[in-house]
Amino acid sequence: MDARLVGDGDAGVGSPVVTMRGVRKLYGSVEALRGIDLDVRPGELLAMLGPNGAGKTTAINIMLGLRRATEGEVRLFGGDPRDWRCRLRVGATPQNIGFPGELKVREVLELVRAHYPRPMTAEEAMARFGLEDVAGRRTSALSGGQRRRLAVALAFVGNPEVVFLDEPTTGLDVESRRSLWDATREFVSRGGTVVLTTHYLEEAEALATRVVVINEGKVVAEGRVDEIKAIVGVRRVRFEAPSLPALPEVVSVHQEGCTYTVYTKDSDALVRALVASGVSFANLEVLAVSLEEAFIAITEGSR
Amino acid sequence: MRLLWAHTRSMVLLYLRTPEYITGTLLLPLVLFLFFAVPNADSSSAANFILGSFMVFAVLGVAIFQFGVGIATERSTPWEVYLRTLPLPMSVRTAARFLNSFLFALLTGLAVLVLALLTTPVSMGAGQWARFAVAILLGLVPFTLLGIAIGYSTGPRAAIAVANMLWLPLSFLGGLWVPPDALPSAAAKVSPYLPTRRWGNIVWDVVRGDPWRLQDWLWLLGYTLLFLVVALWFYRRDEGQNYV
Repeated sequence: MDARLVGDGDAGVGSPVVTMRGVRKLYGSVEALRGIDLDVRPGELLAMLGPNGAGKTTAINIMLGLRRATEGEVRLFGGDPRDWRCRLRVGATPQNIGFPGELKVREVLELVRAHYPRPMTAEEAMARFGLEDVAGRRTSALSGGQRRRLAVALAFVGNPEVVFLDEPTTGLDVESRRSLWDATREFVSRGGTVVLTTHYLEEAEALATRVVVINEGKVVAEGRVDEIKAIVGVRRVRFEAPSLPALPEVVSVHQEGCTYTVYTKDSDALVRALVASGVSFANLEVLAVSLEEAFIAITEGSR
Repeated sequence: MRLLWAHTRSMVLLYLRTPEYITGTLLLPLVLFLFFAVPNADSSSAANFILGSFMVFAVLGVAIFQFGVGIATERSTPWEVYLRTLPLPMSVRTAARFLNSFLFALLTGLAVLVLALLTTPVSMGAGQWARFAVAILLGLVPFTLLGIAIGYSTGPRAAIAVANMLWLPLSFLGGLWVPPDALPSAAAKVSPYLPTRRWGNIVWDVVRGDPWRLQDWLWLLGYTLLFLVVALWFYRRDEGQNYV
């Protein structure tokens, strides 16, 4: 038999988990999304990368049916995300999660898993996300890291096919972040689909099979992690010098007296060129920058 | 059904673990009953009448506060927003809220009843008790809708004020604190047009052993429809503001 026939006759295989076509979103006169086209494919880990306020959360809220698109088409498993039946295969952990403080960790997990046809047990979820020790604790008494872990556990407890993680590691310590990343990778390795928003390039790098970059409500770049890194992977090089020599891969430059701040896509090449130029520079520092800073530098540089 | 149970259970647990809620809805009516009702209940018929008035007052508070303040407090919380991302029909959540509210109304009613049986010469026949239960439960419906309307109309702080502004005057003017024929003349003029007075009439007919009068039920039905429309209007407005 021809291998390509596998999956024929099953409309679900290969068809996108989420489709967005020309999606615009207005809040009053503020345009949060300005025409987004996006497919989430089954089995991928899609990172939506962008600075704060870029529209990532709005896009996720529309995919989850919390908000209605002002214009354009949105499909979740082929249906309207505002119909609860479409969300039977979906798990989510929204931003700024707050729990009813009077309920205990186990009770919250039990409540959420009751919504799904084939959930994991509360015990399994607690074991997976390091919550066994606080099973009987009220959520109001949890630490910040524990609350975050519970939030993420809720996204997975229903054994969904697609999980939406909105800024999952913001405020997490290094160890919790690692265990979340491991759980996410494991979920994808078993065929799950993940949509993740983040404003850390590092996080997209560690997890994503594909990245879309969103800025000012539009998809500005899309591709593999290394492709995206070449576009938004900016470093900041700062030094004091009497004058600025010609330097490679410069994105933008700021001067304050004799201190130069140079944003570059290749700090190694830039430093080599700086040394080779023979200019007597001092106090050299090279720093990774936040995505916000990178976007500002790129926007300035393109003017 | 499983979902309805899960949501009702978590709501009940949540309220049972909120001490200020328990003291406000369960203990306050009991204390008031001891102070104001017991000394006046010197005969069986007086005790029956007072129990009727008091029961209406107590469960009315549960209906208005549980829904009014509960919904106003919860509807904009991150948790309630999160629940909307689950495969959950909103009707299940609303039904759970109804069950939860009825349960606490029932608990409050039973507590008042037990206290009345212990401290006053209350006495009614079995048929009377059955009619009494029907009168209390059906009378709750319009006020539950009123509570929902309050809950969706305003924020948590304002909801407490609005709930009090409705609960106390409606109780007084409805004749639940002093019998209708003892109301000041201005109040007595307004009284027959209020839903609490009509509910009171229905309950007092039961404790006196009189048949019900159709007009009282029609008034309550009218208020039920009115509050339903108002509740739906505020609910839609909230949906339109927060989930478009």
